[in-house]
Amino acid sequence: MTTDVNFELAENERNGLPVLAVRGEVDVSTAPELRERLLGLAEQGRTVAVVDLSEVSFVDSTALGVLVSGVKRLRTAGGDLRLVITQPHITKVFEITGLTEVFPIFASADEAVAG
Amino acid sequence: MTGATWPSPGRDIMKEADRVELSVPSKPDLLFLVRMTAAAVASRADFGYDQIEDLRLAIDELCLSLFGEEATDGRVQLLFKWGEDAIEVVATYQPGDDDHQPRQELGLAQLANELSERILDALVDEHGTDLAGGLARAWLRMRRRQGGHQ
Repeated sequence: MTTDVNFELAENERNGLPVLAVRGEVDVSTAPELRERLLGLAEQGRTVAVVDLSEVSFVDSTALGVLVSGVKRLRTAGGDLRLVITQPHITKVFEITGLTEVFPIFASADEAVAG
Repeated sequence: MTGATWPSPGRDIMKEADRVELSVPSKPDLLFLVRMTAAAVASRADFGYDQIEDLRLAIDELCLSLFGEEATDGRVQLLFKWGEDAIEVVATYQPGDDDHQPRQELGLAQLANELSERILDALVDEHGTDLAGGLARAWLRMRRRQGGHQ
């Protein structure tokens, strides 16, 4: 697990799927770490992954760009990137950018893992 | 982008405006200071929770439009003004010795720029960018929404 002032990223495994649990604010200064983790998963040959944003309080366009890059990479390999979003103001950011149509979004990590 | 210019129609709503000025180094890891200030100003202006969150994100995108994803030795000067019905923010980038150029001129990811534009279009009433005295400037205006006192 890594920790910044307002950012934490933990990786765990559930039912054979990697789950990246993110806490805090994902902005231009912290999104690169998420990008590195997603790249790392792809390089390990993982094709399906879950990013749990339920404890995230802020996302900006940089964070969205990282997630879009991640889903493109995983889909190219025949997989997918599933998101967990529970907070209305985070959902709103995905809605206004049209990204609710891009990602499979779940209400909990358990649901995301189950697909 | 709305295509509006600064100063733009609607300035009358800023009569009796209060104002706060903030100067921060153009470093991504200091953007949280700008967001905190935006939240404090919106709260002071008696905006509701949803609009406070909207302004935090909009300010973040506004600053990204100026200095992008890399730290530079420039600074961003922000002027927050608020009146009875609206908040206005003007952000001006002052380059340092590294002669940094605005984000759009760096050819950074087009996707992030497009997402940023969509976010600003959706969250604020007006926004725009221009050059003022040779300095890159970005601005926005957010009017109080009905039921904003929450």
